Amino acid sequence: MTTVLAAEGLNKKFDDLVAVDGVSFEIAEGETFGLLGPNGAGKTTSISMVAGLLEPDSGTVHVAGTPIRTNSTDGRAEIGLVPQELAIYPDLTGAENLRFFGRLYGMRGEELEKRVAEVLEVIGLTDRKDDLTREYSGGMQRRLNNGIGLLHRPRLLILDEPTVGVDPQSRNAILESVEELSGQGIAILFTTHYMEEAERLCDRVAIIDQGVIQAEGTRRELVSLVGKKDRISVTAGGDLTGIARAAAGLSGVTEASASDHGIEVLTSDAATLLPSLMSCFSSVGASITGVQIFEPNLEAVFLHLTGKALRD
Amino acid sequence: MSKILAIASSNVRRLLRERSNIFFVFIFPIALILLIGAQFGGDFAPGVGVFRADDDPLADAITEEIQSENSLAVTGFESSDELTEAVERGTVQAGVAIPAGVSGLAEAGTQVEVEFLARPDGAGPQLQSIVSAAVARVMTPVAAAQFGAEKTESSFDEALTVARSQTAMAPGLEVETTAVGDALFPSTLGRFDLGAAQQLVLFTFLTALAGSAALILTRKLGVSRRMLSTPTSTGTIVSGEGAGRWAVAMVQGLYIIAVTYLLFRVDWGDPLGALLILVAFSAVGAGAGMLMGAVFSNDQQAGGIGVVVSLGLAALGGCMLPIELFSPTMTRVAHLTPHAWALDGFAELVRRDGTVADILPELGVLTVYAAVLLVLAGWRLRQVLTRP
Ligand SMILES: Nc1ncnc2c1ncn2[C@@H]1O[C@H](COP(=O)(O)OP(=O)(O)OP(=O)(O)O)[C@@H](O)[C@H]1O
Ligand SMILES: [Mg+2]
Repeated sequence: MTTVLAAEGLNKKFDDLVAVDGVSFEIAEGETFGLLGPNGAGKTTSISMVAGLLEPDSGTVHVAGTPIRTNSTDGRAEIGLVPQELAIYPDLTGAENLRFFGRLYGMRGEELEKRVAEVLEVIGLTDRKDDLTREYSGGMQRRLNNGIGLLHRPRLLILDEPTVGVDPQSRNAILESVEELSGQGIAILFTTHYMEEAERLCDRVAIIDQGVIQAEGTRRELVSLVGKKDRISVTAGGDLTGIARAAAGLSGVTEASASDHGIEVLTSDAATLLPSLMSCFSSVGASITGVQIFEPNLEAVFLHLTGKALRD
Repeated sequence: MSKILAIASSNVRRLLRERSNIFFVFIFPIALILLIGAQFGGDFAPGVGVFRADDDPLADAITEEIQSENSLAVTGFESSDELTEAVERGTVQAGVAIPAGVSGLAEAGTQVEVEFLARPDGAGPQLQSIVSAAVARVMTPVAAAQFGAEKTESSFDEALTVARSQTAMAPGLEVETTAVGDALFPSTLGRFDLGAAQQLVLFTFLTALAGSAALILTRKLGVSRRMLSTPTSTGTIVSGEGAGRWAVAMVQGLYIIAVTYLLFRVDWGDPLGALLILVAFSAVGAGAGMLMGAVFSNDQQAGGIGVVVSLGLAALGGCMLPIELFSPTMTRVAHLTPHAWALDGFAELVRRDGTVADILPELGVLTVYAAVLLVLAGWRLRQVLTRP
């Protein structure tokens, strides 16, 4: 797969405060990469350097092979930045805002009009396009803010906490459109401090705290990194101790024990284990009445890595 | 170029969208001009009577100079009493009485007192300013020659020829004003004449400075930063913001010129000259507005200061009280403002049938003002846009 973004060894200090310390990551085409971290972790600072808005003290950024520098516009056309704070004109309409930024991205004429209409459709604001954005609800403003980043079909879309302060409905619409864009092959860099968003959207996640990437990988990699196991809880009847002993003999099972109403199984990969576990149970004549899978989440990983909880 | 236009036109669009802006940019200035025009009497050239106590070459020169003012209809009078009566009756709007033997007085270095008569109403100060300026234009070289002849061996006439060829800005001159009769109009309104050019200069600058608030808001909202994240250079953004402010001033200026010409037949003189003054003065306003927008970080504060500064400069620069009524020191101070230079330019075009060639000095000064302000503003804005 082609690498769209390569950030290497990014450092940024504000006076004495080290905001970003040796951050490196790569994002491939069609991949969604999440920067997960609490307030003040250095997410926005990292993103500003990636987008060429902030000169790193050291380190490099390449987008589609082009170095990104603050004093050059090279490579900017490949990037769509959606800032954390709303950056739209309140005294222009939604369509006018889109048209304005479209022109700054070098689009014009019919191409621009067509694309503005498409994006309005994607962000669900077609019927409100001629209203001033200051009359929009918070969620609608946020959707427009996001839509501006999509206009020029960037190869890298950067979303800095795109769901902050948004009602659940808008939030879902935003997450869905991110999934859809990812399906179209766009590389997405996504920051959030919502664990469940990172889990739902991101192919890979970097956990960042105090300017340092503490760990990086797929959710599964991160979870196994900290030794957390999936837990399969089976409600069953019969000789529970015997069933547990049989299950413990299966490959992939770390531990199996009998509980009051069934069996508890610890494994590094519940989804892979489940079919063989089920056939093992039926072969020893267990009557199964329920199965529950508990996967350890990023919250637990974060807690383990940093000793603190994510906000919210 | 297309991006500069996009940024500039979004500025114009945002300004025109606000209903209160429409009022202050388009309706208010015209209303003021209308009000003052009605006070002044509208569509006629005000009559000025001139009485000369004797046939004197210097008195002739002064009369000729007053006659050369297009905006005045000059009539000669046989006696001082007739002149006073004509002013009292309103047959003429003002009178000028030139005493006997002014040439002799001037040659001897004695203060020449030209008497100015007017009713105490709106037209008086305006006419007095025009007459004073005309008299000063004649008397300045005379005074200089008198001084020159004293200091050198040359004769007064020789010195006068030299002095006339080198006339500079006229300093003040004693013109004694006498009010006669009653005001034709209640004098509460229009005590100071505010002509169309004065309004144009005052309001285009005011609008340009008020535009600094929009720029600060653009920065505060993060829109400027977002512009920088697109393939748009800082230079393009700075140019676009500047062009936007300039375009707003131009739109307002052209509108005031067009409406006052069409509705009130206001004479703006040579169209190309008027356009060039507007172009240069709008650039000064754009530079000042952008500098404020780059220096301040609170839009409401900048808006308030903008109003105070632009009204202050307008008053100082002769938009409220004509410069011709200023003392010599204040005249010099006035010319520290771009307003005074723009007004001088318009006056040259309108009152003395000037052409572009005649207003080159004014255009030059305005261009320097604009260049300095735009460079400063561009430098500062570039700085604030790119800092973290
Ligand atoms: N321009 C700046 N000047 C000084 N310090 C800054 C600046 N920008 C960020 N910082 C500091 O750098 C650190 C990282 O900030 P950053 O905005 O990158 O965090 P974040 O992860 O985006 O947080 P949040 O979730 O609140 O958006 C913080 O301590 C912040 O105070
Ligand atoms: Mg942030």
